[in-house]
Amino acid sequence: MKILILVMLLCYSFASSSGDTTIHTNNWAVLVCTSRFWFNYRHMANTLSLYRTVKRLGIPDERIILMLADDMACNARNEYPAQVFNNENHKLNLYGDNVEVDYRGYEVTVENFLRVLTGRHENAVPRSKRLLSDEGSHILLYMTGHGGDEFLKFQDAEELQSHDLADAVKQMKEKRRFKELMIMVDTCQAATLFNQLQSPGVLAIGSSLKGENSYSHHLDSDIGVSVVDRFTYYTLAFFERLNIYDNASLSSLFRSYDPRQLMSTAYYRTDLYQPNLMEVPVTNFFGSVMETIHTDSAYKAFSSNTSKINSDMPLNQLSDQDLQNADIPNDELNTEKQKCPYTQMRADLHEKLEKLENVDTVVNLSIAVMVLVVIVSSSVI
Amino acid sequence: MEETSAARLNPTTDTSGIMPEFDPKTMRSSKPGLKRLIITTTVLFSFLLGLPFLWKSVEIYRSPLPFHDIDSLSDQIESTPLRFPCTFHAVFVGFRSTDPGKLRSEIQDGIDQLTHRSSQCGSCNFSLSVTVQNPDDQCSEAIDYNPSSCSYRCGVVKRYGFGVGLDDAVDESLDGVFSGCSGHSGKVYSVFVVNRENANGEDDEVKAVVGKRRHAWIVGSGLEERYEDVVARVSEVFVKVFMNGGREEDSIHGEFMPVGSDGKIVLSFSLLNSNPRDWVYDWDFQRIDEALLAPVTKALAPIANISVESQVLYHTPKSSFSSWDEKLQSYIFKTSDLPFFVNSNEWHLDTSAGASGRSKILQFVVYIPSGNECPLQLQLPNGEISKTNGFISPMWGGVIVWNPGNCDKDSQSLSRNTISPQDLEQIVEVFLGQFRQLFGFKSEALYTSGLGTYKILPSERGFTEWELDVLSRKHTCFNLHSCSTTLGSLSRLVQSLPRMIIKDEIGEQVKYSLKAAKLAQSNASLGGYSSSASSSREARSLAENAFFHPSIMSVSYFSYEHCFAVYSPFFLPVAGHVVLAALREWKRYKQEKAKYLAWLTRKKSA
Repeated sequence: MKILILVMLLCYSFASSSGDTTIHTNNWAVLVCTSRFWFNYRHMANTLSLYRTVKRLGIPDERIILMLADDMACNARNEYPAQVFNNENHKLNLYGDNVEVDYRGYEVTVENFLRVLTGRHENAVPRSKRLLSDEGSHILLYMTGHGGDEFLKFQDAEELQSHDLADAVKQMKEKRRFKELMIMVDTCQAATLFNQLQSPGVLAIGSSLKGENSYSHHLDSDIGVSVVDRFTYYTLAFFERLNIYDNASLSSLFRSYDPRQLMSTAYYRTDLYQPNLMEVPVTNFFGSVMETIHTDSAYKAFSSNTSKINSDMPLNQLSDQDLQNADIPNDELNTEKQKCPYTQMRADLHEKLEKLENVDTVVNLSIAVMVLVVIVSSSVI
Repeated sequence: MEETSAARLNPTTDTSGIMPEFDPKTMRSSKPGLKRLIITTTVLFSFLLGLPFLWKSVEIYRSPLPFHDIDSLSDQIESTPLRFPCTFHAVFVGFRSTDPGKLRSEIQDGIDQLTHRSSQCGSCNFSLSVTVQNPDDQCSEAIDYNPSSCSYRCGVVKRYGFGVGLDDAVDESLDGVFSGCSGHSGKVYSVFVVNRENANGEDDEVKAVVGKRRHAWIVGSGLEERYEDVVARVSEVFVKVFMNGGREEDSIHGEFMPVGSDGKIVLSFSLLNSNPRDWVYDWDFQRIDEALLAPVTKALAPIANISVESQVLYHTPKSSFSSWDEKLQSYIFKTSDLPFFVNSNEWHLDTSAGASGRSKILQFVVYIPSGNECPLQLQLPNGEISKTNGFISPMWGGVIVWNPGNCDKDSQSLSRNTISPQDLEQIVEVFLGQFRQLFGFKSEALYTSGLGTYKILPSERGFTEWELDVLSRKHTCFNLHSCSTTLGSLSRLVQSLPRMIIKDEIGEQVKYSLKAAKLAQSNASLGGYSSSASSSREARSLAENAFFHPSIMSVSYFSYEHCFAVYSPFFLPVAGHVVLAALREWKRYKQEKAKYLAWLTRKKSA
């Protein structure tokens, strides 16, 4: 009996150790703006602000999936073309350099969103559009748009329901696509979207409780619409004070939300999340701090032998040769280009013109022909 | 029609005057007609007949999945961890009066003690043989019962000639000492213990070397006197080196399995010139690839399909700052700041358009610092300067800082410099160290364990054969486990969604995945390490393909409610009328028949 218990304990410790010791290796962010149309400017600004923040805190572009349903920057009503602001002081252009939108316009659908989460893509979908996370990944999922009781509207055409979200998260957990997942939602009645979640390792935070609205923060009279939502505004205010080296904890982020300022109650669901929020730095989700191990020694595989790279050949000579080799395909490319019909015709024409001895006679002749044509056509009329 | 005819009949019966008590409200004298009932019921029946056809036509195609096989595979993997046959052979040369049987049982005990008799997946199911060769080159053996095992050709190893030359030469010479080795069981791990005559009093040190293939040797003098020590070391070599590959722990975690789920790795090499205004370096990557990397990728072929790509980038500053150290005459970057070294916003490393979605890309970055922080050295927490000037990040890759020979930026010509072949070799050596580290191997030339140090000969292929065996065993195990859990998840998912379409493709992938898994298991039990590793890789990849098939998408198929909602507008209005008409006609017929029967009884009684 004792042996049995011991064996069970051993098995348990092995199982738990193999599950928990996975170290956190990388960070991913999925940022989704789900609403269309000009008056929803603020949702795009919310998303782009978050995008800027997580990028500043170290998540590289290739690990951010940015979904924007509408292009406000190039909207005809935008007073500031190709610019998006989240504040009426217009100090910070969110649509500056290096904004890499992965899904835009009509690509932002419930189906594509669920495909990104579950990883079920067509083969042709490029790597940059996929969430290639693994069991050591921390994922931040930020969504903003118009929502209601247990749903989030996508582009006025579809809805993401809370059980769809929970189902996708469950499948992600099943396939170990994340270690920890943080879902942050800025919509009306955001808390209801988390009702169906049941996968461990998920931390959810919403801007408002059931029956509450999420309000915009302020209106920009130049742009003519509200430019940011309250919840996101105060989230950003918190993050503007931080840099990648900071150790601010998640609980300090959560404490920073003041219901009077938000005009709604921020809700967090922590029952599925094991670690103590006091000890989890925000950079666990909103930034990327690499796990590094120093390489103690090289593998001296070649030191004993003579150099394997053939050093007899002078380097410059070889590189010249390589260059020549590299040039050859280029030449072929050029000749191929000349075979293109239009250029071919022009080249032929050019050649013929070159061959002609006296160009003046040709010009005179052609003028005469033109005059003749004009006379004939006018007389016919 | 019926009513009017009945109405017409009634007056005739009245005129006959035979039946005085005829009440037209409750009786009728003629049989009620069946025509209308028949018409309505035929229509109803034709509807009912059509139902199965409709049912068939809206049926969802579900390719039959072998749920039972999936369950049995995962049960099997859970209950009986996969173990590989390993043949261990210890040869004691120059021992006079030692009984091989006794030695064998002692080594066996030693091994059991070190492995704790655990039957972890990917461990060895070993058979042990011991040969003792006395100074007169006569052998006595204690052979484990294994008919196909190799036998040691007695007298081949001479106690005097042994270990005189270089270790590499000894390693080569040991390859031919076993005869009758063929097939899978030809993989014999051997430890030679050579007891030298302590004639001239020198070389009292016991020297232990592990070779590039599957041999190790312990050479020393006076070993027979302290043979208990020797036995402990032999069993240690078998367990810690040959079975576990010199790792600290037996199990291997996911983060040290840097193989994509489709079994591919892309090694992406980037040369970063952080500031090309100071100097520009280039490399001849073609030659590195052909001469140094190709053997490595070939050696790892059973474990992963590796492809190599390279690029040179400019204007790529690192994201954190270094400080000048006067004493070391170099810029110092502390290892505690390494997490902030990689500048993911400026280093555009991920260029791999050729890699498919589930391949693993490992980035290897050679970073050339700019002129105002050259030379750049990494400093360990204990104040020492890093020997490799490099670090790794698990599942991501590695970074090597390479300082140009001359840090004076004014003296350098503006033309392109090329990194010299010697420097490239050093860089590749560090890279190999990092690559091995990503797989969980150490790269030190000396392996120290409880009982002493072992010299480990490095292989030019990056991994020695016994290390490749360890990798094959562990990866087979990991892949099979991953395959069975993936298929298990898929079968649970499929069973929980009865209205989901399952394409034939998924069914086939599951079938082939199971087949490959079976093949890997049988190969493993036969001792075919590389073949089992590659078929387990295939099994995992197919299982992943099936699980991530794009047609499995919960929003794109209908629930029963949805099906009902779609088809009811077509049929419900008509079907309601048909059923109602049939019911009404049936009711009317019953009523009329009752009337007729009442008339008949009245007539009889009259």
